[in-house]
Amino acid sequence: MVDLGLKTLLHDRTRFFITVAGVAFAVTLVLAQVGLFVGLLDNATITIRKASADLWITSHNTANVDFPQRFPETRVDRVRSVPGVQRADNLIVTFMSVATPSGAAENTVIYALKDFKAWNLPWDLKEGRVEDLRRGRYVFMDEGATRRFGSFRTEDTREIQETRLRIVGQTRGAQSFTTNPISFMDYDLVQSMQPDFLGGKTTYILVKLAPGADLEATRRELQRRLPYNDVFTSAQWAKKSRDYWVISTGLGLNAYLTVFLGCLVGVVVVAQTLYTSTMEHLKEFGTVKAIGGTNADIYRILARQATISALIGFGAGLAIALILVPLAGRAHLKLILPLPFVLAVAAGTVLMCLAAAMLSFRKVAGIDPGLVFRS
Amino acid sequence: MILKGQAITKTYQEGRVVTPVLKGVDFGLEAGEIVALEGPSGSGKTTLLQILGCILSPSAGHVEVLGRRISDQSSRAQAELRRRHFGFVFQQFNLFPALTVLENVEYALNLKGLDGPVARREAEGLVEAVGLVDRAHYLPRDLSGGQKQRVAIARAMGGNPSVILADEPTANLDSQVGSQILELFRTIAKSSMRGLLVVTHDPKVRAIADRIVSIHDGLIQVV
Repeated sequence: MVDLGLKTLLHDRTRFFITVAGVAFAVTLVLAQVGLFVGLLDNATITIRKASADLWITSHNTANVDFPQRFPETRVDRVRSVPGVQRADNLIVTFMSVATPSGAAENTVIYALKDFKAWNLPWDLKEGRVEDLRRGRYVFMDEGATRRFGSFRTEDTREIQETRLRIVGQTRGAQSFTTNPISFMDYDLVQSMQPDFLGGKTTYILVKLAPGADLEATRRELQRRLPYNDVFTSAQWAKKSRDYWVISTGLGLNAYLTVFLGCLVGVVVVAQTLYTSTMEHLKEFGTVKAIGGTNADIYRILARQATISALIGFGAGLAIALILVPLAGRAHLKLILPLPFVLAVAAGTVLMCLAAAMLSFRKVAGIDPGLVFRS
Repeated sequence: MILKGQAITKTYQEGRVVTPVLKGVDFGLEAGEIVALEGPSGSGKTTLLQILGCILSPSAGHVEVLGRRISDQSSRAQAELRRRHFGFVFQQFNLFPALTVLENVEYALNLKGLDGPVARREAEGLVEAVGLVDRAHYLPRDLSGGQKQRVAIARAMGGNPSVILADEPTANLDSQVGSQILELFRTIAKSSMRGLLVVTHDPKVRAIADRIVSIHDGLIQVV
C-alpha cells in the first residue's frame, strides 16, 4: 500500500525537521528533568535501599533519613531483646563541616556505625577496608566529593568538625538528596567529636530479623515496646523519605509542571506544523476525497504523520537524553531513566502528537471534494 | 445507459440571494460514448459534472449509475460510489506531489480496495497504457504538463470505472499535447466501453466526441 502520509511528510523535509525537532525538544526536556529528579530521589533513599536492615527505628516523627533526630542509644538493648530480632545496631547520621583547601567550609553527611560490614555500608568501595575505620581518626569519603571538598586522595587528611582525620578509603555514589556527599566514620569517633550533641545518643537503630521471623509482627512488637520511636520496614522508610521530598517540599509539583510544560511545547509545535501542513495540502486531501477516499482515509494519513513524527522525535529526544546521562555523571548528578518511565514518555509522545493531529481532523472533515475543480 | 441525470436542479443560496445554476437538466451517457459538454463560463458545466460524479448533491432531480439511483446518499456512500464507478481527470492534474507516477496510480487503486502486488501490477499496466513506463519513478514536478495529464488519466482508469469524468483536461496543455491527450481518451473510451464526459472549452474535443451537449444558463441544448 502506498504510504501517502509518510511520503508527504518526508517530501517537505524542512517542515518535517521542525516537527521532529519540536517533539525531540519536548521529550528531552521531560526525560532530562524527570530523570534528574529520579536521580535525586534515588539519592534520597540510597542508604536505606543499600543497607541490609529489615527494619529502621527512628525518633518519633522523623521526616526523612537526611533529617535525623537523636534518642538514647541504650534503646538498642530493648530492641535486641525482642523475639525475632537477630541483630540490632545504633546508626548515627549527622551533619559535619569539612574545611576545604580554599579555606571555605562544606557540609558532609556522616554515617557512623561500629561494624559497617554487618550492614553493607558503604556499598560501593573504590579504595580501602572499612574495618580500618575502627582503628583511629579515620574517614571514608566519596569520590564525588572532590567537587565540593577539593581534590583528595586516600591517605590525605581533612579537617572535619575541627578535627584532623585521615582519609583511609573512598566510596562511589554516596550522595544525599541535598547533594551533600556522604562520609563514613566510626560510631565512637563521631560521638567523641560531638560529645555535647551526640554523647549517649543515636539517631537510628538498624534491625536485622532472624531467619523465619515475621517482619510485620516483629515491627509491631518493636513499636509496642518503643512508644517514643517509630519503627518502619525498609520499604516504608524509603517511601516516607521519598514522599517527604516529592510531596512536602513541592519538588514533585515542580517535576509535574516540567512534564506538563514539555507536553505543552510538544503539542503546540506538532499541532502547529501539522495544521499548517494540512492547510497547505487541502487540495490534495480534496483529491483523495474526489477519487473516492473518505474522511477516515485522511484521518489515517494525519494520524500516521503524527505517529511517525512522534516516534522519530521521541527517538531523537531519547538519544539526546542518553547522551546527557554520562555528562550529568561528570557533574556528579544522577540522570536515571527507568524503562517504565521511558516507555510511558514514548506512549505519551504518541498520544500527544495524535491529540495535536486532531486539530487538523476538524479541518479536513469539512473539505469539499469539489474544491479540486476550482483553479 | 450507464449514467443518467433527470430533472437536475441546483441552486446556491447566499443570504437572501438565491442563484439557480442548473434548471432541470436531463442528461444521459452510454457505454463507450464520448460526450463533450460545452458552455460559457458560469453556465453550470462543472456543477453538472460534480453532481453526475457524486461530488455534489442536486437541489432536485436525481442521478442513476448503471440503473441504480445514487443521489440523496450519505457522503460516505457517495465516496463509495465514486470509488466504484467513476474516474476523474482534473484541469490542474491534481497529482500527489510526494508520490511518483507509479505511486500516484497505485494509491488510487489502494483507495479502491486493491492492495499489494495486485495493485502494483495494475498500476504498472496503466502507466504503460499511457506511455509513461520510462517515467514511472519520476515525481510530478519532473514531468511536463502533458505527462502529468497522462498520469491523471492512468489514475482515473484504475479499478476499471464505468465512467470517466474530465474537467477541462486540455486547458493547461499546448495544442499538440492536447491532441495527443484527446486521442488517448478516445482510445480508452472505445477500447474498454467506458463512458467519457468531457467538460471543455477546447474545440478540438469536438473531433473525438460522439455527441456534443451545450449548456447555457443552466439549461441543456443538444448541438
